[in-house]
Amino acid sequence: MMQLLERVLSFAGLWWLLAEGHRDGWLLGGVAVVAATWSSVKLWPPRAYRVRLTALPGFLAFFVVNSVRGGLQVAAMALRGRRALTPGLIDLALILPDGAPQILLTYTLGLMPGTVGVELADGRLRVHALDVRLPVAAEARALELRIAALFGVGA
Amino acid sequence: MIDAIGTLLPIVGALFYAAGTLGLLRFPDVYSRLHALAKADNLGLGCVLLGLALQAEDLAVSLKLLLIWPLALAASSAVSYAIARRAAHLGVKPWRRDSP
Amino acid sequence: MNSIDLAIALFLLGNLVVALVAAARGPTAADRMLMALLFGSTGTGILVLLAQAMGMPTLVDVALLLALLAAIGGVAFAKRAWQGDGHD
Repeated sequence: MMQLLERVLSFAGLWWLLAEGHRDGWLLGGVAVVAATWSSVKLWPPRAYRVRLTALPGFLAFFVVNSVRGGLQVAAMALRGRRALTPGLIDLALILPDGAPQILLTYTLGLMPGTVGVELADGRLRVHALDVRLPVAAEARALELRIAALFGVGA
Repeated sequence: MIDAIGTLLPIVGALFYAAGTLGLLRFPDVYSRLHALAKADNLGLGCVLLGLALQAEDLAVSLKLLLIWPLALAASSAVSYAIARRAAHLGVKPWRRDSP
Repeated sequence: MNSIDLAIALFLLGNLVVALVAAARGPTAADRMLMALLFGSTGTGILVLLAQAMGMPTLVDVALLLALLAAIGGVAFAKRAWQGDGHD
């Protein structure tokens, strides 16, 4: 029930944003919020993995800081050209459970410094690293722990 | 102060976009080009959006601008993985420093 | 301020053209897929800058829609990549 309320409130907030705070479209907005909540329950049942709101700000801050680092690093490498690269593939053994947590890890790693996911299969993730001498595995593990906290799963 | 940052950030963002394109032109294989485009362009977009959000007078308009960023990030991270995986399945070998 | 935003939008447009040509010439099919990334990031960037420069706030909605479609398209794209293995 709380989760349903959370969703309704999130979609209502989203509508407020899209309407730029204008109040004249609230009827259409109400219909949109109901439709969005209904389809979200159908497509993503509340029983499945649940995001912990208390862990969300920490995760977002971690993500933003690291994606800025990632952008700066690759921009610096682009200026130096291919001599800045020591690329290679690295296989990581994941501690996160199957499903949403692993998929989120695979996608977010693509925006973290120096890594992009190549293949996720059987609890192992192969990544391409721009510089294999950097602590890729340690950074990936730090992200895994953040995601574990976000979903409230043991890792 | 905020006005100055709001004007400056889109310019910084444009430089990141340029760095992404530079990486696309200079990096040796599809995997490293992928890093350049995904990461540098998204940081560029983030700077542009944040700059414009600071310029906007209305809070709702600012937030709407900032909402674009996570959508663009979701798009490029999903596409990045799809491209990298496709390339691996096509048998594209990553460029290595010691190979010609 | 508006002319600065317009100049940046034009710069990004030039940037997009160069990147598109480079990606289209890319040696492998995977290189050509890089073009899909460019529209999501550079395209939305150009639209929001134009919205500000030309005083057309509706363009922000267009940018939002483009980003949304890019996200949905990207996930669909990735989903195909999860499943489609044998063929090109």
